[in-house]
Amino acid sequence: MLELRLVQGSLLKKVLEAIKDLVNDANFDCSATGFSLQAMDSSHVALVALLLRSEGFEHYRCDRNLSMGMNLNNMAKMLRCAGNDDIITLKADDGSDTVTFMFESPTQDKISDFEMKLMDIDSEHLGIPEAEYHAIVRMPSAEFARICKDLSSIGDTVVISVTKEGVKFSTRGDIGAANIVCRQNTTVDKPEEATVIEMNEPVSLTFALRYMNSFTKATPLSNTVTISLSSELPVVVEYKIAEMGYVRFYLAPKIEEDEDDAKPE
Amino acid sequence: MAESQLLGVVSYCKEFVEKHGNGVEVVYSLSGWLKGNPASYNIRLVSGPKLPEAKQEFDDSYSVQVYSVQACIPKDPAALWNAEFLQAEELFKQPSTIDNCLRDNRFCGILNSFIKRNVDGTSLDVSSLHHRSVVGLGPTTNLAHQSITVPQSLQNKGQQSSSKAALLSPSTEKDVKSESNGSGVHAQASKPPAAKKIPPMPVKEKKVQKDKGSSSIGGSLANLWGRASAKSKPSCPAENSNLIPNPTESSAEAQICAREAVEGVSSDDDVHDINVKRASNGEGTRKRRVVLDFSDDDEYEGAVSLASPDIVEGKSGQKLKESVDTLVPEKSNLNFDEQVEDKPKVKEEMGINKKSNQPLEEDSSVVSKDRIMGPTEKKNNCIPENDINEKDKSTKAAPDSPKRRKVLKTHIDERGREITEVISEGQETAEPKKADSGTMKADNNTVTSAVNRAPAAKKSPAVSNTGQANPTGKAANKKAGNKDPKQGNILSFFKRV
Repeated sequence: MLELRLVQGSLLKKVLEAIKDLVNDANFDCSATGFSLQAMDSSHVALVALLLRSEGFEHYRCDRNLSMGMNLNNMAKMLRCAGNDDIITLKADDGSDTVTFMFESPTQDKISDFEMKLMDIDSEHLGIPEAEYHAIVRMPSAEFARICKDLSSIGDTVVISVTKEGVKFSTRGDIGAANIVCRQNTTVDKPEEATVIEMNEPVSLTFALRYMNSFTKATPLSNTVTISLSSELPVVVEYKIAEMGYVRFYLAPKIEEDEDDAKPE
Repeated sequence: MAESQLLGVVSYCKEFVEKHGNGVEVVYSLSGWLKGNPASYNIRLVSGPKLPEAKQEFDDSYSVQVYSVQACIPKDPAALWNAEFLQAEELFKQPSTIDNCLRDNRFCGILNSFIKRNVDGTSLDVSSLHHRSVVGLGPTTNLAHQSITVPQSLQNKGQQSSSKAALLSPSTEKDVKSESNGSGVHAQASKPPAAKKIPPMPVKEKKVQKDKGSSSIGGSLANLWGRASAKSKPSCPAENSNLIPNPTESSAEAQICAREAVEGVSSDDDVHDINVKRASNGEGTRKRRVVLDFSDDDEYEGAVSLASPDIVEGKSGQKLKESVDTLVPEKSNLNFDEQVEDKPKVKEEMGINKKSNQPLEEDSSVVSKDRIMGPTEKKNNCIPENDINEKDKSTKAAPDSPKRRKVLKTHIDERGREITEVISEGQETAEPKKADSGTMKADNNTVTSAVNRAPAAKKSPAVSNTGQANPTGKAANKKAGNKDPKQGNILSFFKRV
């Protein structure tokens, strides 16, 4: 028996909107600690890890560990039927092949039940080791989204370089090149507007902008984004979900050889 | 004439207007015969104060209705005319045996014996006259459609209906001319595409017939509206068709012109009639599906002729044939190339497909202009058709494999022209071979290499780039992600548990 009651239902909606484009089908794992998901995209380049801790739910009952395979697009469709202020309750019986989403309007005068079929998904759980990152950048999530969007109109890849000067996002494409440098800036009115760079050693990595742009779908979840870079590890783009957990995106870097797209012979 | 009911409505409206201040006024619609000689039927909108004055101009039997309560009289009478005309036309077209709402005056709150008697009196004439135009009606909407897509779809008009082509636009003269020019080769070259065109037709044909059938059986409102929307849809891309008078402007004269043109055409020959429908349907929203069918079949020529906006079919038809020739022996000669060969072809088709499905037709019309200019400027050595296909391929190939290293190669061919090629490294081995065989088969056919020839390509790469970057963006990139050799794999960093 599983019963999770999430007062801030919009949060689950946002989570689904954030990951459904990256991953089609995934197993949601429910345990006493919380509601989590780990899945790779189909080309095994990116990985998304979601955690919603049990403390964040108004009511959390999970009698035994349960793994529910869901089509994320279908789940997103169902969740789109919930209002932004609705309270969402997830229910599943042991051994059942369905999950029920219950939406209660804030005034309690409308209650909807949506039952979704579960699916069997072979999940490949990856062990993600704790690691020290060479550089950790925290910046406004909207700013990061804007940068990725802008750069993707010029090139396919972004080089993220962290130096003591700041963090530089650069790209190169057929029409030209672009560099965006963000300096550390902690003298702001609101803490979420700060750009904080912690750097142990300089790092420069190349990533596919397509994935970065896909990650920025999680922007509504958090005002800030944390980008952790290490030269021999995938980048981690993390959106914290207030008082509940996080969505983390891991993206394998591109192997850098020659950056020139076309060179005359 | 039912003065009391009218007064009821009128007084209500007047009350409303008085209540809601001077922002609005009652607009009346008067319709009836004018007093003057020769008598003419007149429908006009009149504002309240001018009503008595206007009434004077009409003969004794006329109708006064409250048209609306609004700020001022509509400036453009076309709006009124369209609504009235479309509906009335539709209803009149129905067989006289059917009592539609026009004939029995069903929806009018005011019983009007005049209307009924009028219709009965003339019904035979009306129906006989309009039975014909029921047939013409399909084309009417289609023509509107067609004429917009003329820049794209002229391809087969040359051989199919030269008379109509001449009627439609001066630009088609070229087609007619070219028909006589290269008749032998051209016939050969253009036959396969024509044949290719037929398979998907029956479906559409049915649809058209269905349309026709329903319009002749009952003019339901849905029917009516469906048609109206078909007319208005093309009106936004219409701006692009600067070659021809645009019948979809909402002006009354233009629509009449369109109708007349169509009726002229359709009375010429029934085959033309069908062609009109075909072309317009083919160029309509369903094109994507049609072309995809072809890409399944892997039919090179068919796909090209169907989807590419090829104004100079006649001229390029010759070239097309050449290219087909070279493609065919090439395939048989270079069996080892076949794999490489097949793949780009599919891509090409996709490219064309994408291009022709661009939401803004502007791009493709520019492309088609380029194609006109191509052969006339550089008639002797330029193969526009294939050039563009190749460009499609190269631009298409670029997003498909952006991670493959691209190399610019410049060399002088045997005619002394400088050729600059963009070659992805992986293809490098295959391309020169193709080029060789191409130059062997047809001396000026350098087509088969991924050409980015400086002179001819000057304009269109940009066009095709912008045209394709957007629609292909996502799908192409997704593929690229899989293929990209530089892209690291997450599994090489994290171990499976």
